[in-house]
Amino acid sequence: MFDYCRACRLMVTCGDTTRCSKGSAETNHTQFNDVKPVLPRAMASVSEMYDVTWEEMRDKLRKWREDNHRNSEQIVDVGEELINEHASKLGDDIWIIYEQVMIAALDCSRDDLAWTCLQELKRQFPGSQRVKRLAGMRLEALEKYEDASKQYDSILQDDPTNTAARKRKISILKAQGKSAEAIRELNEYLEQFVGDQEAWHELSELYINEHDYGKAAFCLEELMMTNPHNHLYCEQYAEVKYTQGGLENLELSRKYFAQALKLNNRNMRALFGLYMSASHIAACPKVNATVKKANVKYAAWATNQINRAYQLAGRGTKENKCSVKAVEEMLESMQITMS
Amino acid sequence: MGEVELSCLAYVKMYLHACLFPRCSVNGLLLSSSPAGGAVCVTDCVPLLHTHLPLAPITQLALTQVDVWCAQTQQRIVGYYQANACVSDSSPTPCALKIADKIAEQCNNAVLLMIDGGKMSPDYRVPPIVMYERKDTRWTLKDKHTIMLRQWEETRDIASQLLDSGDHSLLVDFDSHLDDITRDWTNQKLNAKIAELASPANGNV
Repeated sequence: MFDYCRACRLMVTCGDTTRCSKGSAETNHTQFNDVKPVLPRAMASVSEMYDVTWEEMRDKLRKWREDNHRNSEQIVDVGEELINEHASKLGDDIWIIYEQVMIAALDCSRDDLAWTCLQELKRQFPGSQRVKRLAGMRLEALEKYEDASKQYDSILQDDPTNTAARKRKISILKAQGKSAEAIRELNEYLEQFVGDQEAWHELSELYINEHDYGKAAFCLEELMMTNPHNHLYCEQYAEVKYTQGGLENLELSRKYFAQALKLNNRNMRALFGLYMSASHIAACPKVNATVKKANVKYAAWATNQINRAYQLAGRGTKENKCSVKAVEEMLESMQITMS
Repeated sequence: MGEVELSCLAYVKMYLHACLFPRCSVNGLLLSSSPAGGAVCVTDCVPLLHTHLPLAPITQLALTQVDVWCAQTQQRIVGYYQANACVSDSSPTPCALKIADKIAEQCNNAVLLMIDGGKMSPDYRVPPIVMYERKDTRWTLKDKHTIMLRQWEETRDIASQLLDSGDHSLLVDFDSHLDDITRDWTNQKLNAKIAELASPANGNV
């Protein structure tokens, strides 16, 4: 007999004596028999609260799916209601919605909901690799990493090119804190699947966390090559170069902050980055007069743009006067140290 | 070393910052409006980043801006906090130590605070924090008895209440500010809400 622990919402066998992760160290899972029945709070439905129709809810879910948003709490709220109240109207859309809601449910520790979705999908698509992966993800969420790994291994036995299963295995290493292994596996993966943007980005993040900036920069270079219009990659690359330090890297960082701004002139990080890198170069004793002059100009331009942006932002709103003032003073003080 | 007192405001904002970005490592600065010398009173905090904590430019920028703001508001930076994405490991990362070292250069009682993600659920009876202080050149674990949180139960309840009502989304960290500069990283609005909940009518903190 199964039930849900009231604290952590995991599914447990009745009489289970394993520790509950959500309670204090002394408690077991809180099961049905232990807890006095509590009347559920009358919660307004999503459609009532936001005055939306079921079609609008379905469309919202689709948009979030297409944009790959990780707003899991929202997806669970909207998706759960859609599934419970309007399942019959959704037609074949319901299966992809079950998948989307299940993943969001795992993200929010809603194993009850995830289990329901998984059962529906298993029933409809018996033997499907895609559903097997979802089952594996649920095991990951329950921190049953060995079992999850076995699940993915069985997928890979049938289909060695299944990228999703391989990436999940790497995620397990990451979740267990085994960064070095995760990095090694991800590198191997990328040798085979060179075009996987998501993987390159993940690798760059792993390298940044290990303070291996050179390799992080390499990953970002790959991403910039294949996505020349993406200002975020330029800006991230510039940040890595800045962090590496030294005159050459600073100059590179300034160039890439500038490039990011060219691609998106509202990228504040790039604007501040341009200001800071140019200022540092100008202040560096090794540079010749021409380079210094040029960088002072860049920094001045950036200061101007920053001030303008903050003036615009500060207009009409009282609340961010503090941050505006802080920026003004900061820019002023840095001007003094530069000249 | 000395005693450290953590105010309700500082604790609640740190806690909400960690809750707002459960999948990321987050960090921030601890501030004090009390004069230097004697016990360290952490009266406020500024949430900083939830992405790319080890990267330098934005961290430097944030430190400079907070420094300026502190000078304008008679506060000092007295510490640093961080919550790791990986819940099972709450030890300070190299970047945490680096930033804390920098802060210690200006403030010799500086504290390094790590939030222990594994102990953040509302049923925990003790604050989910681990504090470090600088002894010689190393950061060592601080004696729990020198850390004070006045009215811990009320503080904890205020944090839970704001989390339940969804008000934690009011919190603006420096990263969010850079995404939209109309948002205020000094969090005046949220401060007011917390002060309201902590008012004498509800139990003085």
